[in-house]
Amino acid sequence: MNYKQLIDKLSEQTGNTKTRTKEILGDAVTVLTEQLSDGKGVSIPDLGTFSTKVTEQKKVYNPHYDAYMMVPPKRVVEFSPAAGLKEEVKFLDSGDE
Amino acid sequence: MSEKITFKELVELISRQSNQSQSSANSFIHELVQIIEGGLKKSGSVSISGFGKFELRWMNERPGTNPQTGEEITIPGQNKVVFKPYKALREDVNKPFASLKSTVIGGSGAKSAENESDSESRIEDEKDSTKEIGIPFIAAKAKEVRRTSIPIDELLIEHENPRFPEDDPFAGLTDSDTDTEDDSFVMMPPSLPNEEKVAEEVQKAGAFKWSYAAAVIIALIAFIILFFMFQRMGDSDQPATADQTEQLLTPVEPEASTAEAAQEPESPPPQTEFQTENYTVEPGESLWTIAESRLGNPYLWPLLYQLNSDIISNPNQLPAVADIDIPVVSNPENLNEFEREQVALGYFALYEWNRENNPDEARFFLWAVGVFSPEILEQPPSEVDPDDLAFALNR
Repeated sequence: MNYKQLIDKLSEQTGNTKTRTKEILGDAVTVLTEQLSDGKGVSIPDLGTFSTKVTEQKKVYNPHYDAYMMVPPKRVVEFSPAAGLKEEVKFLDSGDE
Repeated sequence: MSEKITFKELVELISRQSNQSQSSANSFIHELVQIIEGGLKKSGSVSISGFGKFELRWMNERPGTNPQTGEEITIPGQNKVVFKPYKALREDVNKPFASLKSTVIGGSGAKSAENESDSESRIEDEKDSTKEIGIPFIAAKAKEVRRTSIPIDELLIEHENPRFPEDDPFAGLTDSDTDTEDDSFVMMPPSLPNEEKVAEEVQKAGAFKWSYAAAVIIALIAFIILFFMFQRMGDSDQPATADQTEQLLTPVEPEASTAEAAQEPESPPPQTEFQTENYTVEPGESLWTIAESRLGNPYLWPLLYQLNSDIISNPNQLPAVADIDIPVVSNPENLNEFEREQVALGYFALYEWNRENNPDEARFFLWAVGVFSPEILEQPPSEVDPDDLAFALNR
């Protein structure tokens, strides 16, 4: 499902116009991004938990240079799906991969 | 994650951001979740522009164990929900670290491995030679000085001459020289040429430069140490040498202790080596169990590893029926400074070994170094991974 389909569906369900739906979704995304950038985790019921994690600096072999690279620490988003969602989709035969 | 905001707070923030009531924001999110779930079920992926993409990923069946019963089971193939953040989110989240870039370290893989093994064998040689004479402590010190370049200055001031303020290394230098001369006649030959050198170099420099003085001190130390090494190798059968070297490396210790006599009442000449006992390993024993039964504290096992590095190459494997040296530890509950330092050095050796062979757990050994001797952790005998160091310092 791409973004357009999502907006279509969402506006249909909430009764908002597509423009307004886009706005609200954009606002939600802004808020989520802000919180995650602050290093805070966000839980959304039935969907899952977003959190951030700082990966450690690590030594990685780069075959291109035939040398080890020191990869700096990085903060990345982690998502762990809610139990319900996990179970729902677990044994689903989803075609698209 | 240390902090989390509740769903209520999230709804509040979104409703404020988008100028709508909290209840409508709430229902909006719930609709969104429903749609995401539906979309995942139907097409296996849902994309939210500017945020990320939820996807189903098929995990093939794989073997596993039941953590409760330890029974081998096959985990059936299943779908997993994964979230792939888009670039905007990734960059926003990574802002604090955005300035960091990957850097190339070391040369080609094969080459650096060779170097490492090279230096390791050299260290082992060193250990072996010192082993025979039985002064591992001094060997460790010498190693420290020889292998690091910057901390030497501090090391000198701290270990040899604690009385002198750090900003006056030159005063410390001359004084330590006279001290060593007083303490031992063996010192005379090497120190004299060095003093000449110092004077000469100061003259050459015209104005006195601190960096210059530091360089001279480094040269002096290197010279002294080389001298010791040389002497030890030359006449290792003379037991007197060990005693002299002891005095030389800690020349100011007695004075320092008089100065600080009030604070440190226990100051007989500092211990620089362990009395050891011989012990024959029996089948089924490990360094841990030996340390527990003979030293009274299993956590001191790195001492055994350190003292017997010629027999034990892999700390996880102890050759059965081997004869190993066991140090005599006065009080396992309350180690003296030297013993603590030795345990820390033992843990450091383990850290180095593990970094080679078991990199995931190496940092725990580095942490243990700091537990026994924070000083050694601050000035590690050889290079440590900055990450491991951060871990060891912050744990």
